[in-house]
Amino acid sequence: MNIQTTKRMTAAEVALVEAYTEQVGDLPGDASVTSTRDRLLDDIKNTGLPTRRVESWHYTDLRTLLRSVPAPVAAAPSLETIAPLVDGSKVLPVLQGSASASASVEGVEVSSFADALLSGAAASGLMALDRDDAIGKINGSLVRDGYALAVPAGAEIETPIELQALHGAGQVHTRFPAVFGAGSKATIIERHRSATGEAALVSSISDVTLEDGADVVWVIMQEQGADDTHLGQIRVRFGADAKLKLFVVNAGGKLVRQELRIDVEGEGSELTLRGVNLLGHETHTDVTLVLGHNVPHTNSTEIIRNVVFDRARGVFQGMIRVAPDAQKTDAKMACNTLLLTDDGEFSVKPELEIFADDVICGHGATVADIDDNHLYYLKSRGIPENKARAMLVNAFVAEVVEELEDEKLVEALESVISAWLEKHA
Amino acid sequence: MPAVQETIDQVRGIDIDQYKYGFETIIEVDKAPKGLSEDIIRFISAKKQEPDWMLEWRLDAYRRWLTMEEPTWARVDYPKIDFNDIYYYAAPKNVTGPTSLDEVDPELLKTYEKLGIPLREQEILAGVKTSKVAVDAVFDSVSVVTTFKKELQKAGVIFMSISEAIREHPDLIKKYLGSVVPTTDNYYATLNAAVFTDGSFVFVPKGVRCPMELSTYFRINEKNTGQFERTLIIAEEGAYVSYLEGCTAPQRDENQLHAAVVELVALDDAEIKYSTVQNWFPGDAQGKGGIYNFVTKRGDCRGHRSKISWTQVETGSAITWKYPSCILRGDDSRGEFYSIAVSNGHQQIDSGTKMIHLGKNTSSRIISKGISAGRSQNTYRGQVSIHRRAENARNFTNCDSLLIGDKCGAHTVPYIEVKNASGQVEHEATTSKISEDQKFYVMQRGIPEEEAIALIVNGFVKDVIQELPMEFAVEAQKLIGISLEGSVG
Repeated sequence: MNIQTTKRMTAAEVALVEAYTEQVGDLPGDASVTSTRDRLLDDIKNTGLPTRRVESWHYTDLRTLLRSVPAPVAAAPSLETIAPLVDGSKVLPVLQGSASASASVEGVEVSSFADALLSGAAASGLMALDRDDAIGKINGSLVRDGYALAVPAGAEIETPIELQALHGAGQVHTRFPAVFGAGSKATIIERHRSATGEAALVSSISDVTLEDGADVVWVIMQEQGADDTHLGQIRVRFGADAKLKLFVVNAGGKLVRQELRIDVEGEGSELTLRGVNLLGHETHTDVTLVLGHNVPHTNSTEIIRNVVFDRARGVFQGMIRVAPDAQKTDAKMACNTLLLTDDGEFSVKPELEIFADDVICGHGATVADIDDNHLYYLKSRGIPENKARAMLVNAFVAEVVEELEDEKLVEALESVISAWLEKHA
Repeated sequence: MPAVQETIDQVRGIDIDQYKYGFETIIEVDKAPKGLSEDIIRFISAKKQEPDWMLEWRLDAYRRWLTMEEPTWARVDYPKIDFNDIYYYAAPKNVTGPTSLDEVDPELLKTYEKLGIPLREQEILAGVKTSKVAVDAVFDSVSVVTTFKKELQKAGVIFMSISEAIREHPDLIKKYLGSVVPTTDNYYATLNAAVFTDGSFVFVPKGVRCPMELSTYFRINEKNTGQFERTLIIAEEGAYVSYLEGCTAPQRDENQLHAAVVELVALDDAEIKYSTVQNWFPGDAQGKGGIYNFVTKRGDCRGHRSKISWTQVETGSAITWKYPSCILRGDDSRGEFYSIAVSNGHQQIDSGTKMIHLGKNTSSRIISKGISAGRSQNTYRGQVSIHRRAENARNFTNCDSLLIGDKCGAHTVPYIEVKNASGQVEHEATTSKISEDQKFYVMQRGIPEEEAIALIVNGFVKDVIQELPMEFAVEAQKLIGISLEGSVG
């Protein structure tokens, strides 16, 4: 049935199309980029935003949940960069979706993504990953700027690089392609934050390539405002023996979808994914992982910890796909949730899709409130209940943060987490 | 990589003509023409001497079915089914009221004998005096004989074919039929509501513990007859019943469709235990033929402290699409699901369960063991849902997959939805192959490889086998062995 074509467009869909038609002359890009943008927008027009009938959006019916989309703001608000998450980091500011022309980092090739759009170099990467890739379509048609990073082979960048994306009201669509050369080392902090608290629609895609032997720490810190919609995506391709520690923190936003699309295509490579989702108020936050182990001898571990307060709704979908012939894959995934209120909810769909036999794959998922025994233990030592609860919640998420070996980074993340918990508990 | 050589041997070894029950019974059959229309439904209803309201119920379902779409979300792949190329009614001819086994067509009895169905339960269970099995044997859509009817009657238990029940107990049918799986539920359940030809009806009245295990052996026999069974089991307050369902089917070239519906209703303090051994023809070595098994099974723990337990051993069928579920409506009710799904050759299994927690203090337990070999695809798909008002709900899920050979696939798709903080949900799943260490450990004690693997597989599924009634446990273990022959060592 042609359910999609007969549907009337929702307000959000209309707003997206309008945002495009209003800006079309103004969006950077050569002919190839423009035609790609056109196609992506047509796709949104024809199929609409995904509904719960689309399996990968089952728990996040974007069509229903995305009620309104603020119009793009013509004049960018004046925004100032803030202190980096980790002291001493090199900050690459993206204010209201625009990169700074003068930004540079020693030892790293930094250019603005708008340049890649203007030259047409970015055209091929703009395509959506698949027909359900709504984030790819929205971002691809409306993206304006961002940074393209290239870390040369063998380079070891000691200072963390912070991609600091700040915004006010309106729409922000950014992209961060990053290539880490063979044997290079770097730490990237991708930070999304509302500067004014006014409602905005943010879409951002990081397109990460790890060449052979690269060793990268990538942190996504999402602290959007209570009225913001954040559609984030990170795409990762692994070379042989490459290592990635990916750390995702969600601590804000009204409607959040973080997609992690990871393809392990190099033998001997290793992914460590850790996630902390702090959900409060009326947020709907969805972390969706699609991890393909496509070659033999690769490892991955994923641990996601969620804390649900108030009327928040959380989703974790984690699909691990082991391709035929990807023997000796070792993949372990865990998703643990503390559901602290009866008004909140959490849905988990950890999926295993395995086509090779000599593998060790497993997943575990738990959802529960704080253990009464734990609480009793602390209370019997004279700690008041609310404090005891706070300690237990803190310990629950701190455990995964501590796995990041970088002390400064651990401290920085812990301080964000405790500040958030203090505000909500 | 050791896996490669192993696989070559395994795939070569898989010649699924090992299906042992591939014979055919030649008896006259009374059947309706191929195809589906309102006339066919009227024909079926008339044949069954059904009252008008039943015909209306069927026609209503049929009209709705016409507007529905075939589901495509399951991880199974098969050519489109032509629903007009199927016989919807076939009944063994000399069916006019046999009162004892002696009057039954000897051809039929021979078939059962070959299958080893315990029609003469004393012979089968010689020496086990306390355990009795009543068989309502379904032979191509019509219950031919029902034993033990009298003893059951004494206890007040009603155990008869659903067609009889529609005639004799219309009040119970009207009250319960379609109350768990509504006619609008899903494509195949709706089709079943329109055309179901037979099945079992069990009613265990208040406070009665059914004196024996009830059992139905399904057997698809006539070429191209889809079997549309409808089973309805009701356990009133404090009642208990254990029901066994076992299946075999003769070898065929053409695919056969089986779309059954099973409804269980447990009232306060009642308990229903439903066990299945499914061993239908899985198709040949090329993946040709085999049964399509699209079943809707659902239990409703309607009363407080009620319990429903599903145990299944799935070794047959080309395609299985089956999710025995529990709706835990009553407070303190409990649902259980124990499953072994073995796939070999080109079989495709997409099976699992749903545990819907609605009442307070409800608990559920899911143990699923999948074994895939050959070129088969074996998917566990399950849902655990804790609703807003389900205080103190508890779920434990464990699904393990074992892979034998590197051409097969094992998939796990659990959906976990929690809306109440007092709920406690645990889920764990693992996928691996039999480790060389395990095999070595057993073999170095002088046990040949094939037996070693069989032993390890038996250990892998032990948790579920233990849940089967004694009569079934033995058969189940044998079946798993037969299904994996040629693929294990």
